[in-house]
Amino acid sequence: MTAYGVLRSEWVKFRSVRAMLGCLAGAVVAAGSYGYLFGTAAAREYLGASAADRAAFDPTETAFRALVLVGVLVSAVGVLAVTSEYAAGTMPVSITAVPRRGLLLLGKGAVVALTTLLVGPPLALLSFTLSQAALAAQGVPSVGPGDPGVPAALLGAGLFTGLIGLYGMALGFLLRRSAGAISLGTFLLILPGMASLFPKPVARWIVTWWPSAAGARIFAVHPGTELLTPLAGAGVLAATVLVLLCAAVAVFRGRDA
Amino acid sequence: MIELRQLTRRYGEVTVVDGLSFDVRPGVVTGFLGPNGAGKTSTMRMILGLDRPTSGSATIGGRRYADLPVPLREVGALLDAHAVHPRRTAFDHLLSLAYGNGIGRRRVEEVLGLVGLADVAGRRPGGFSLGMKQRLGIAVALLGDPPVVLLDEPVNGLDPEGIRWIRTLTRSLAAEGRTVLLSSHLMSEMALTADHLVVIGRGRLIADTGLEAFVQAAARQGVLVRTPDARRLAPLLRESGATVRPGVDGGLMVTGLSGAEVGGLAGAHGIVLHELTPRRASLEDAYLELTGDSVEFATSAAGVVS
Ligand SMILES: Nc1ncnc2c1ncn2[C@@H]1O[C@H](COP(=O)(O)OP(=O)(O)OP(=O)(O)O)[C@@H](O)[C@H]1O
Ligand SMILES: [Mg+2]
Repeated sequence: MTAYGVLRSEWVKFRSVRAMLGCLAGAVVAAGSYGYLFGTAAAREYLGASAADRAAFDPTETAFRALVLVGVLVSAVGVLAVTSEYAAGTMPVSITAVPRRGLLLLGKGAVVALTTLLVGPPLALLSFTLSQAALAAQGVPSVGPGDPGVPAALLGAGLFTGLIGLYGMALGFLLRRSAGAISLGTFLLILPGMASLFPKPVARWIVTWWPSAAGARIFAVHPGTELLTPLAGAGVLAATVLVLLCAAVAVFRGRDA
Repeated sequence: MIELRQLTRRYGEVTVVDGLSFDVRPGVVTGFLGPNGAGKTSTMRMILGLDRPTSGSATIGGRRYADLPVPLREVGALLDAHAVHPRRTAFDHLLSLAYGNGIGRRRVEEVLGLVGLADVAGRRPGGFSLGMKQRLGIAVALLGDPPVVLLDEPVNGLDPEGIRWIRTLTRSLAAEGRTVLLSSHLMSEMALTADHLVVIGRGRLIADTGLEAFVQAAARQGVLVRTPDARRLAPLLRESGATVRPGVDGGLMVTGLSGAEVGGLAGAHGIVLHELTPRRASLEDAYLELTGDSVEFATSAAGVVS
C-alpha cells in the first residue's frame, strides 16, 4: 500500500465517473460564456459612466468574475469524487483495499487537487480573453494576458480552483450525498454575491472575510487597500479548506464504512 | 486463520453481535450459518475493519485488518456484489483496487479469466446480470491471491452451473490450505461445500463444530417403516422404547431404534414389512431444529389465518 499506488488507484476511479467530466466541460462553458457576459456588461457600464468613473475603470476587475461561478462546478467535481463511491456502494470495497482511511482520503485529495489545479489557469485565460474581447469590441479600454499582474492572476487561478476542488471533496466526505453536498457547497460559494441583503457591517465582513470572497482576491490584479491582499485572501481560503479536510478525515476515520 | 474474541457490536440498545468467539481455521471450508439478521454480515464487516466492534476483537493471523500492510494479498472478501460503479468497466474496477495493493494489470486479466469474465472485461457492469456481478465480486476477492477468503452469500443469484463453480472453487481454495469463511442460506449447497460450521443466532454462537457432528447431534435420525400391519407394529415398537410418528403416505417414522431392531421385532411377531429405510437427517433439518428459537423473522401459518 504505497501512496503512489493509492494515487493511481484513485485516478482510475476518477476518470470513469462521467458526471465529473460533465462538470469539467460545464466549467469550460461557464468560464467562456460568463467571461463574455461580464465583459459586455462592464463595457455597457463604462459607456454610460461619468468621466471620473471612466478614469477609475479597471478592465481586469471584470476579467475573472466568472471564476466564482466556475468554482461551483469545480467544487462539484470534488464532491462527486467522493459521493459517486457512496452512491454506488463501492466505499466499503475501496476501504478494504486501502484500510488506512487517511491515506485513502489523501489519494483522492491528490487526484482532485491536481486535476482541478491544472484546469484553473486555462479556464481563467478563457474567461480573461473573452471578457477583454467584449470590452475591446465596444472600444472600451482592455488589457492583454501579458500585462503587469495578469500572468500572476492567471496562474493563481490554479490555486483557487485547486482549493475549491478540495473544498468540494471535504464536503463530499462530510455529507456523503451528492445532492446535499453540491447544494450546500454552491450556497456557501455564492453567498458573497448576496452580501447586499445583509446589514452593512455584516455585508462588509462577508465581502472581506468569507472564504470564497477572500479566495477570489487571488484574481485582484490591482488589489488596492480596502480588501485583503491576494496572498492573504488565498491564505483565508486555504485555512478554511484545511479545517474542512481535517474534519473530513476525522469523520471518515471514525464512522462505519 | 481468523480469530474472534468476545466480538460484540451494539447499535444503541440493540446488540447485533454478542460476544462471539471462534476461530476460522485454514485448510477447510467453514460455513457461516444463521437466520436473517443473525449478524453474519456484521461479523464479516468487523473482520474487515469496516465497522468498529463495540468490544472484543477480530484479527487475521493475530493482526487487525487495518494493520495489514498489503490487505488484498492477505484477505479477499466478497460482501455485496451490487457494490460496483455502473460506469466503471470490470477491468477498471479491479485495476483501481489492484493498484492500491501493488498488484498489476496482468493479475487483473488473469483473475477476470479465472471467473469467466474475460470477454466482458471492457464492459460496464451497469448492464451485468446478478450472476456476472457475483463473479466480478469473486474476482475482487481473489485479486491478491490471498490465503484468507471471506464470501458473504456468494451463490446468491447464481445459476446451477455458477453454484457448482463456487463449490468447486471454495473447496479447491481450502484444499490449497487457505482459510475460507462462507455464508449462505442454501443448506443443501452448504452440506456439499462446508467441512466445518459456525452457526449463530441473534448475534450469539450456537454451534462451532464439524458438519457431520452438527447434523448428528442436532437432528433425530430415524427409520421409515412401511407395513400393512401398522396397528400391531406401532404399539410393539413403543413398548420397546421407540417413538413412533405417522410418516409420509401411511408409513411410520420410528426414532430410538435402529433398522435392525425394528426388523427383528417385526420378524419375531410375524409382521410383514414392505419397507425399512434408515432416514438420515439433512443439514437443513439439523439447522432448523437448532436455530428454531433464534429466528427473528419467523413466518407462522397461524399468523396468516388470524
Ligand atoms: N447500521 C445499522 N444500524 C442498526 N442496525 C443494524 C445496522 N446494521 C445492521 N443492523 C442490524 O444488525 C442485524 C444483523 O444484520 P446482519 O446483516 O449482520 O445479519 P445477517 O446475518 O447478515 O442477515 P442476512 O442473512 O439477512 O444477510 C440486523 O438485525 C440489522 O438490522
Ligand atoms: Mg447478511
